[in-house]
Amino acid sequence: MILTAIILPLLAAPFLGLLGSPRQGAIANVVLSGIVFVLTIAVFWAPGSGLVHADNLGLIFGGVTGFTGLTTAVASFFYLREAEPRLSLRRWRVYHAMCQVVLGSTLLGLYADNIGLLWAAVEGATIAATLGVSMPRTPSALEAAWKYFILGGVGIGLALFGTMLVYLAAQPALGPGFSAMSFTALSAHAAGMDGSLLTLAFVLILFGYGTKAALVPLHGWLPDAYAEGPAPLTTSLSGPLINVALIAILRFRHMLEANFTGGGTALPPGPFLLTLGLASLFLAAFSFSRRRDARRFFGFSSIEHSGIAAFAFGIGGAAAVFGGLLHMLLHTLIKSALLQVLIRAAALRGSTAPGHYGFSHLRGLIHSNKYTALVLGAAMFGLSGLPPSGLFVSEFIIISQTIQRSPWASLPLGLGLLLCAVAILRNLGPLVFGHAPPRTKPAKATPETHLVTLHLALAVVLAFAMPPLLVGLLSQVAEALK
Amino acid sequence: MSLTFSLAHLMGGIILVFGFSLLSQRRLAAMITIYQIQAFVLSAAAFWQGYAQHEVNLYLTGLITLLIKAIALPIGLRMIVAKFNMIRAVGTAMPVLLSTIIGVGLIGVAVLVVLPSTLSAVSLTREDLAIALSVVLLGLLVMTTRRNALAQIIGFLSTENGLVLAAIGMPGMPFVAEFSVALLVLLAFLVVGVFLFRIREHFDTLDLTGLEEIERRGR
Repeated sequence: MILTAIILPLLAAPFLGLLGSPRQGAIANVVLSGIVFVLTIAVFWAPGSGLVHADNLGLIFGGVTGFTGLTTAVASFFYLREAEPRLSLRRWRVYHAMCQVVLGSTLLGLYADNIGLLWAAVEGATIAATLGVSMPRTPSALEAAWKYFILGGVGIGLALFGTMLVYLAAQPALGPGFSAMSFTALSAHAAGMDGSLLTLAFVLILFGYGTKAALVPLHGWLPDAYAEGPAPLTTSLSGPLINVALIAILRFRHMLEANFTGGGTALPPGPFLLTLGLASLFLAAFSFSRRRDARRFFGFSSIEHSGIAAFAFGIGGAAAVFGGLLHMLLHTLIKSALLQVLIRAAALRGSTAPGHYGFSHLRGLIHSNKYTALVLGAAMFGLSGLPPSGLFVSEFIIISQTIQRSPWASLPLGLGLLLCAVAILRNLGPLVFGHAPPRTKPAKATPETHLVTLHLALAVVLAFAMPPLLVGLLSQVAEALK
Repeated sequence: MSLTFSLAHLMGGIILVFGFSLLSQRRLAAMITIYQIQAFVLSAAAFWQGYAQHEVNLYLTGLITLLIKAIALPIGLRMIVAKFNMIRAVGTAMPVLLSTIIGVGLIGVAVLVVLPSTLSAVSLTREDLAIALSVVLLGLLVMTTRRNALAQIIGFLSTENGLVLAAIGMPGMPFVAEFSVALLVLLAFLVVGVFLFRIREHFDTLDLTGLEEIERRGR
């Protein structure tokens, strides 16, 4: 079951590259993503065992990835209707194939119980996403893809070095062979690992996977990639990829923490994560005001939320980890919803090509279409983290834990969150309710906007109703990885 | 056992020297030659480690390195250089002397970081790791100090040689062959891949200073 969910999209990708028309490709993409979504839900009953199996963390985030993959595929279908003439058949084939490769590698990264496989999954996703970003073939898209590749390549290299050092650090406890690469075994025997080597490994891994999670100072690729790549692939689908990187950091952090508390010679991981998290939060807060392109703007918002999650993991303790994971979960739902409705908004204004997402170009959306404009407004409001947005709940948990565990950090955290929220809300008014540019005609909404509404509703329900299944799983994870 | 040590260290040292000389070299053809020799020595190191550790996997890694990195990739890179007529020295972002000094500093950092934190590991792995980390850092430095896309790729290739050097020194690590294959996919994609040709198509040059569209448009 679990292997099918991973292998199906990867195997299907070459065939998507052969289909005769872009439309067929888009339909196949939707069908495949639908099957994968069903499979990621089915994994709850058959989590598998061995090299590739879903622990609780994999179950939750696998399900969210499957769901986002499906809605992205549907959004992609409507995107195609508008953007089809802009690109040749060959590029559409590559596009649909890459959508599936990114989906498959993301799931592999979530389900792999092996530090080497995790690395290979992240590498595969990087290659696919780079190809995706370069697809429009404009000079700026190529620049963005090159940047992505160089930074991503550096990150991948550092992560591999770190991975090898973790293996070496595990030698005293686990000996040579596969067990020294399995997350389950590594966490269980963390106290017996070589602490100083593990610390070195963690720093390399933090910077390596931190590149993929777009933590400052390795965030440079993300805003460009978001703004220049083909909308659905690089934006909505790359959200789950950030999760893979953050979860990897969380798992390695746990080894370090366990070694530290178990009397090993490792340094505590908190300060590293707190520094990078706060730096990301503040960089985003101060970068918001000068952004004119909406997708670049929300790219910085991804950096912000990635930073918040890293901060929460740095605070440590079961409750903060719970808050961080909940934050990642809700952020994925809200952000992919927002970016999908943004594509629709750009389509209402004539073109979804990169460069047509300027705030000045999209402003006064309510005069084009009420429903789309309100959904966009709701998504932006949700992203700001004010109640009744789901993110309020997770941010509240993180802040209260910060006050309890490291009070000095709560002031910068609160300030950063406030600045970010203000920056987002400042753009909300003009974008939704402002004066529309001249010669704006009302247009009809498309059915996939309902899916965006579903995303948002899901985020609110998950945060406020807190279904016991989710809370149970998340708290087990947080307890195990605190 | 002592021969194992000294030969492995000798080969690691040669790889490091060539990684370092990439820094001062500004002609692409010469950079490719240096990279090629580095890859040859790396494959020899992999075979030697395979013999010393009795691991069939490492022979496979050595073979892959020899065939693709030491033979096929340099041929491809030379074809690109010939096709684009990039005979002249390429631009650097900082003076060669400065980057050499930084390079020496990076090697010092790698040694200072790795040796104290690996006291419990076997000494073969310790020193190999310090060398490998130096090669990785030097490759990254080459990537940051070169303006030319192809020169950046050669820097990346050298980084990757450092990673493989670290991997083959790990006692009994599974997946070594698979890692090197996975890295190769990345490389093949990089070199053969779209970028060189597409960047050339748009800018008539592989010099990345032309790539400042996003800067100019204002983010």
